[in-house]
Amino acid sequence: MTSRGERGDKQSMAKGNTKRVRIPGASATTADAADGPIGVPDDACAKALRRAGLLLAFADLIWIAQAGLIAFAAALLLQSFLDPASADVSLESSVPVLAAGFGVIALALVRMVLQTVGMNAARRAARSVQSAARTRLLRAAVEVSPAAAFPSSGAFAAHLTEQVDLLGPYYQNYVPQMMRVKVVPLVIVVAVLPVSWIAALILLICGPLIPIFMALIGMRAKKASAHQQNELTRLSGTLLDRIRGLETLTLFGALDRTLESVDNAGERFRSGTMSVLKIAFLSSTVLELFSALGIAFAAVYIGFSLLGDISIGTWGTPLTYGGGLFVLLLAPEFFAPLRGFAAAYHDRAAGLAALESLASLEDSFPAPETSDAEKSEAVTFHVGGSGPTIRFEDVSIRFGERSVLDGLKLDIPPGQTLFLFGPSGSGKTTLIDCILGFHPPAGGAVTVGGQELTPAIAKQLRQSAMWLGQSPRLFHGSIKANLMRGAGPGETVGDDDLWAALRLAGAEGLVRGLPRGLGTQLGEDGFGLSVGEIRRIALARAAVRKSAKLLLADEPTAGLDDETAADVISGLQMLCAGRTAVIATHNPAILALPGQKIDLARLAGMKMMETAG
Amino acid sequence: MNAVLSFVSRHFRHNRLSFCLGIAAALVPAISGLLLLGVAGWFITAAGVAGATGVFLNIFVPSAMIRALAILRTAGRYGERMLTHDATFRYLADLRTKLFAAMASRSLSGQRSGLLLNRLTIDISALDGVYLRLVVPFVVISTVSLAALAVWLSMPAIVFAAGAVCLGGWFGLAVHAVRSADKKIARRADAANEAMRLRATDMVAGRRDLAVFGGLEPVAETIRRADETQGAAEDLEDRRAVRLTGFSAVLGQIFVALMLVVVSLSVMANDMSPGLGIALVLAAIAVPEIIGSILPGLAKLPRIALAADRTNTLLAPSQSDVRLPGAQRTDNNHGAPVTGSILKFETVSFGYPGAERTVLENLSFELSEKQTLAIAGRSGCGKSTVAALASRMLVPGDGRILLNGQDLADVPEAELRSRVTVLSQRPHLFNDTVGANLRIANPTASDTELWIALAQAAIAQRISESPDGLDTVIGEGGLGLSGGEQRRIALARAFLTNPDLFILDEMTEGLDTATTIDVLERFFSFRGRAAVLMIAHKRIELEAAGSVLFLNQRKADLAAE
Repeated sequence: MTSRGERGDKQSMAKGNTKRVRIPGASATTADAADGPIGVPDDACAKALRRAGLLLAFADLIWIAQAGLIAFAAALLLQSFLDPASADVSLESSVPVLAAGFGVIALALVRMVLQTVGMNAARRAARSVQSAARTRLLRAAVEVSPAAAFPSSGAFAAHLTEQVDLLGPYYQNYVPQMMRVKVVPLVIVVAVLPVSWIAALILLICGPLIPIFMALIGMRAKKASAHQQNELTRLSGTLLDRIRGLETLTLFGALDRTLESVDNAGERFRSGTMSVLKIAFLSSTVLELFSALGIAFAAVYIGFSLLGDISIGTWGTPLTYGGGLFVLLLAPEFFAPLRGFAAAYHDRAAGLAALESLASLEDSFPAPETSDAEKSEAVTFHVGGSGPTIRFEDVSIRFGERSVLDGLKLDIPPGQTLFLFGPSGSGKTTLIDCILGFHPPAGGAVTVGGQELTPAIAKQLRQSAMWLGQSPRLFHGSIKANLMRGAGPGETVGDDDLWAALRLAGAEGLVRGLPRGLGTQLGEDGFGLSVGEIRRIALARAAVRKSAKLLLADEPTAGLDDETAADVISGLQMLCAGRTAVIATHNPAILALPGQKIDLARLAGMKMMETAG
Repeated sequence: MNAVLSFVSRHFRHNRLSFCLGIAAALVPAISGLLLLGVAGWFITAAGVAGATGVFLNIFVPSAMIRALAILRTAGRYGERMLTHDATFRYLADLRTKLFAAMASRSLSGQRSGLLLNRLTIDISALDGVYLRLVVPFVVISTVSLAALAVWLSMPAIVFAAGAVCLGGWFGLAVHAVRSADKKIARRADAANEAMRLRATDMVAGRRDLAVFGGLEPVAETIRRADETQGAAEDLEDRRAVRLTGFSAVLGQIFVALMLVVVSLSVMANDMSPGLGIALVLAAIAVPEIIGSILPGLAKLPRIALAADRTNTLLAPSQSDVRLPGAQRTDNNHGAPVTGSILKFETVSFGYPGAERTVLENLSFELSEKQTLAIAGRSGCGKSTVAALASRMLVPGDGRILLNGQDLADVPEAELRSRVTVLSQRPHLFNDTVGANLRIANPTASDTELWIALAQAAIAQRISESPDGLDTVIGEGGLGLSGGEQRRIALARAFLTNPDLFILDEMTEGLDTATTIDVLERFFSFRGRAAVLMIAHKRIELEAAGSVLFLNQRKADLAAE
């Protein structure tokens, strides 16, 4: 168990006196409070879980009353047998038995209500912890600058789904079971005590023995189950690798041979699972054994007491038949919560591992981009008629120790196009990211249309710019839905506009050849496009934003063949008209277009190389 | 439900002995548990009677029985768990391999690999409930119920009636649970979870694009809504489970109470000895636990049924299977004279169903031994479609394709794959040893042959630097290879085949000029008499080809270089 895990454990079951100190006024939605570790219930939730556990424990204890009723009725029955004089099957004599029967049923209904309420409450509490954890992860992803380093999309998605899913059973099962195990056995001992102190003593001795046995077995189980987790990851990895390579396997006619390795991986996993289960079954067998022996010893002890062969442990008076039966009925229930607890123990291991994993994911998040104060600031971004002026005033950008831009001065007049070139790593992408406000400068200021780029202004500017990134990404959904993302605020875009934008990007024929045209679903699930095709669709997406006065393009022709590149270049040329534009490129064909050109490699020392348009 | 039943029958046929042995083993703890409580109840009652009346009671037989039953119940439970789980996992491991084979045998190129993986992992683990939590408990409960009914039949009628009514109640509850099992809810929860994963992947991988186009908040909001949907669906599933458990528990207590009342009445009427009566009541207390063993299975039934459905669909032979080996077809091409013609396209057209425009129209060309034909044209003109058609990864909409004079549709799969080698733009290298990756092309190749192929692809030195040589693992967690090095391994893999036709699908895409020239030179010095169909757009590649077919004119015009 790790320290973080322990923290989570304690937190979730915290008693009143170990409550966390919280900022006053913090609401129940844990998402608002980024103070505690992720995935740990807040006070309200922890309380709800404890209450749910108490309800379940109370439901268990109802059995004591039911056992009492049954023992009472059985004693009556025996009495009527031993004393046949009073025995006649009249309604009158069967009234107590009937009453006991009804009592048992009525108590059963109460028990069911308590259990239902308790289980539902536990689930709701667990659910809210999960939702809060998801909200918190999502908020981090939204607030961080889009250009900052972030965990991989696969890791983020896996944490958001699987890891958070694992928290559910942990809080829902383990925490309430823990409560049950604390309360129920003790109360049963107390209930047995007045009838027979020796029976109570036996239970008291047996009880603590169980956790010791379990701990011994549990240590081995933990090791085996961690091993098995690795084995599962390995199996999934092997399977995914083979699935991804299915086409390669088909093309080489090697499918049959692969089956053998899949079979071996599955077999290894199976034998691993069985060895983990062997240990798990052993620990539950220990519990079973105690429970069965509990019944056996109780029965034998009671039987001998009733026969008069034994006469100890009953406070001096002989054990009554009803009392004996009562003890016999309660003995197995003493062990029942322990069995439930053992079953939930597995959820705990998984839950704690998930907590740890979520916390380490969160630790790897970069600092958020905007503070709350700036967010509420009401701003509007204005653009001129033929595009804004972009000005870099002594701008310096650093990534950690590395300086990418140093004291850069740059002035792009309205409606003009600036071409950036230079080897990779010279800062082309960084410069464009600066205009979009992805990198706040370490020194100097970037102004667009005379306004300094505060995070709020930058956010508005992004919504009103045409942008084509270096490795543009399209999203799961139809081509149409992807293109519609280009629509600026308040713009209405029809299918004709989409086709016009596609034509401009040289992608009309491409989309017309797809199975469902604009409605074709993209993504791994639907239709795979090549890198060049994605770039052209992305250019069309930018072109849909007709109201934009700013055009930013980063390597727009990378990876395209000459003819396709020519299409893209003519499209870009059209888009540049009437807009302030910045285009980063290696392509000589683009650099031949009219406009200002800057070699970023030679710019060291703010030397600007003006080329006649 | 049918899918679940056919799953059960497949499991039964997989290994009848272990299937039945597991069930038999499960009967031991159930019956000994019932007897344990029953004998204990009888014993203390008899002791109570004897103690009060002084009648002689043989105490050694029953007390020995009680201890024996306690141990039998415990040991039986362990044995049952081992046997049933072993039977289950053996079958599931077998099923996983069969499912993978089924996936491999049909075209699933459009499917997301993550979803296919779920079929092999999550669905398979959902299916372990069928035998463990449905079949075994069902048989045990049925046996115990029938035995109980038989026992009650020999007793006063009210005892039989009370028992029969309660068992009937449970039966009704089970029928209701099966009927109300709604796969839709399980499916909704699955879909919401999958949506969360997809959107989250999109959101993180495309953060820059989203910041400009549409913002990240709306996507985060979509994910939050999916979380709510999943929560609501799971809530329904859980409520169902809680309800089921609750009703069964109440039924169990009603059963005990009823037994208590009818037994009391019978004993008072001198129809039954008190010992037997209390034995019946205590045995009744053990019954709900036995019946409860099927509840988790019934609660999970929607998920189990969904998994069984998907598994069945995957295992069922499908009609749309494009890779049906053509060997069985009888309209075999009448052995047309082969005059060195390796590949021939005869007015081939192809379009995606539902598309506005066809991708290829009336494409004809012929390729002979030792010839090299390049297919060129702008991106999106259908170049890669030609490669997919020639390797039968797609089937033509119109026209036909001949390989060695035989209709491609009729060439048996094994023969096709040995005659045609494809070198693709993105070769898949498996997360396995270098040797295993190479032997995909030729399982019988010796180590020497592998080294020769690696040397021909100019990657032998890189591999020999690694201490494990051919046993070096490549891919995640293994030897990291650059894009160019991966392409060379793929090239070495192709060098281990001896085909009539090589298809190069933009083989040098993404490689720098020096590497491109080297890879091409090495390939052409190796190709031997094989024909080469080259999908290309780089000048170097076009220059290496004997003839070039430009596709952008949308008609087949062969331009000799």
